[in-house]
Amino acid sequence: MTLIAAQDHAHGQEPGQQAHDNAPSAPPPRASRRPRRASRHPLRAEFLRGFAPWTGVALFLAIAVAMAGTSAQWQGGWAETRGRLHTTAVLLGVPLALAAGCRQGGRERRRRTEELMATAVRGTLARFLAAALPVACWAVAGYVVAAALTLLATALRATGDRPDLVAPLTDAVALASAVLVGHVVGRRLPWRLTPPLLAVAGYVVLGFVTYDSTGSLRHLTPIGDTSDIDVPVWWQPLVMAVWTGGLAAAAVLAYAARRRFTALLPLAAAMAAGTLLVQTGDGLWHTNPVARRQVCDTSTTPQICVNARYEDLLPQVTAALADLTGRLDGVQNLPVRFTDLPGEPGPDEVRLPITTPIGWTVVRGRLASPRQFAWEAGMALYDRAECDTAVDPSVARVDEAVQHYLAPNPLAGDFDKLEAEGSEADRAELRDRLEARARLREMGGEERRAWLSAYFATARACDPSEVPAL
Amino acid sequence: MTTSGPLLYVRSRTVPRTVAALAATAALAVWAAHELDAYLDPDRRVPVIALAPLFAAAVIGTSLYTASEELDRTAVRPWWRRRLVHLLTLTALAAALLPWAVLGHASFFGPSAMIRNTLGCTGLTAAAAALLGARLSWLPVFGYVSAVYLGASALRGNSVPLWAWLVQPAAERGAWVVALVAFGVGGVLYVLRGARAEGARD
Repeated sequence: MTLIAAQDHAHGQEPGQQAHDNAPSAPPPRASRRPRRASRHPLRAEFLRGFAPWTGVALFLAIAVAMAGTSAQWQGGWAETRGRLHTTAVLLGVPLALAAGCRQGGRERRRRTEELMATAVRGTLARFLAAALPVACWAVAGYVVAAALTLLATALRATGDRPDLVAPLTDAVALASAVLVGHVVGRRLPWRLTPPLLAVAGYVVLGFVTYDSTGSLRHLTPIGDTSDIDVPVWWQPLVMAVWTGGLAAAAVLAYAARRRFTALLPLAAAMAAGTLLVQTGDGLWHTNPVARRQVCDTSTTPQICVNARYEDLLPQVTAALADLTGRLDGVQNLPVRFTDLPGEPGPDEVRLPITTPIGWTVVRGRLASPRQFAWEAGMALYDRAECDTAVDPSVARVDEAVQHYLAPNPLAGDFDKLEAEGSEADRAELRDRLEARARLREMGGEERRAWLSAYFATARACDPSEVPAL
Repeated sequence: MTTSGPLLYVRSRTVPRTVAALAATAALAVWAAHELDAYLDPDRRVPVIALAPLFAAAVIGTSLYTASEELDRTAVRPWWRRRLVHLLTLTALAAALLPWAVLGHASFFGPSAMIRNTLGCTGLTAAAAALLGARLSWLPVFGYVSAVYLGASALRGNSVPLWAWLVQPAAERGAWVVALVAFGVGGVLYVLRGARAEGARD
């Protein structure tokens, strides 16, 4: 294509058109304009005309729309952003890139310029790259713009941790490789249905390998692991890029190189990288060191800790729990702290109400409902879930009264109203509950602290006689 | 020996190959639904329910291509009847074959959801063929389906069944309406206008 493109430019036509549409009516180029036009590189038309720019636009739109639609679930968390962008780029972008490359590969056949191209001076590889690389570059450009916007969106609402800029590079290599592989397939099978068929095949393969999340082959897909608290070892993106890029380079060389055995070199590199990925298996991923730390506000009782991945949330969490911790001031037998680390909390600790996955409690770097959060934190302070028998109604009433005093359920009013309109038993239960709440509220400050201290000493007790009555 | 007009039409639109591709799609869908252990949970059928109609629609869309567009326009007889029969026959075939992959669970992701998605996707493809050209008609619907499939699970709201009709349970009436409207509009557009003329350079 490059070879006749220089001539095409003199006429301002798209390259290739001349092959079958050599319009005799085109005016001869004027001598004064020729030097400026001739100075343009032949590849310029390949980059700016035809299908290639549309590939970039399509990829940008697909990724940007899919990311924007789910923005509540990643905006504000760097790990979530990385995982979501990566999954979207691979699951959505790779089939699209395969299809785009495949369509571009069938171009010579559609234009019936195959024989003309075969007479060109330049070798097959040069002609192949001149047609395939513009699509690959545009695909990567579309992805890079979408990724930049995504990272910017998270940077505006980030709450801790730091961005991972290497993962998008792996995705870009995977997309470019998909375009090149698609191009080879399109050249080999120039049929109308090949592009959608290839795209669906890409979907099915990627989907199935992800679906079977236990097999070791999943380490070979560019999707990899998308757990939010895991990060890859430093060389994983590099090896993944060698794996995907090597396969694509091998396909291109085997198809277009003058010495086809040169395809063995990238193939060997890809095989080595693939073997390394499969052999290392789960060792490719380790827990993010940041996720194993937490930052704490020690001025309150209990202390409040949030995971270091969300360290900037601490002021919001402390503010949401301010009423609760204020009412617990001076009370004994409380847990030492609310903790927010992976794994079970320690003996003197209780778990902070979950802040992850983001999009529920925390949306775009903000606590969505501080009152709900405070109520959940209050609920965490007692735990009778491990009792063998059902909780005695009198104990449940005491628990409820304490919860209501510390941080009422935002929906408590609605529940009370429903029961007030319910059966006789419901109304009696409501009456008892309101009385228990009133007795706790009417205690003097010192008396209430003493009673609460006694209550929290039995926060895990199952025997109703141990729990102080109201 | 003379060959009848309909037979020539069928050949010129590569209908035999299209029918074979549709049959292969249905077979692949049956295999995929089985591999996904969809009998355990109808929700696991969603990939099949979304992807099989997408590919069937791509097959039908590319069969709308005519290699002799300018010559066709000089014909004496009206084309719309042939286009109508062509589109309806292939859609009916796809709608009859694909539901075999997802028998049972009619109100969730069962045969009726598969038929709905086949109609909707085919309508979108037919519209794309009329506006973009038949050879690239699969591209818009492909992007749309992928984005909905990835994004819809995360979204809630009253308007979701309207644009995420593809991944709604079969009992959702709004999704049916959207799919039927898509099929109606796309079908009418194609039947009246035919696939957009494409030069050899596209």
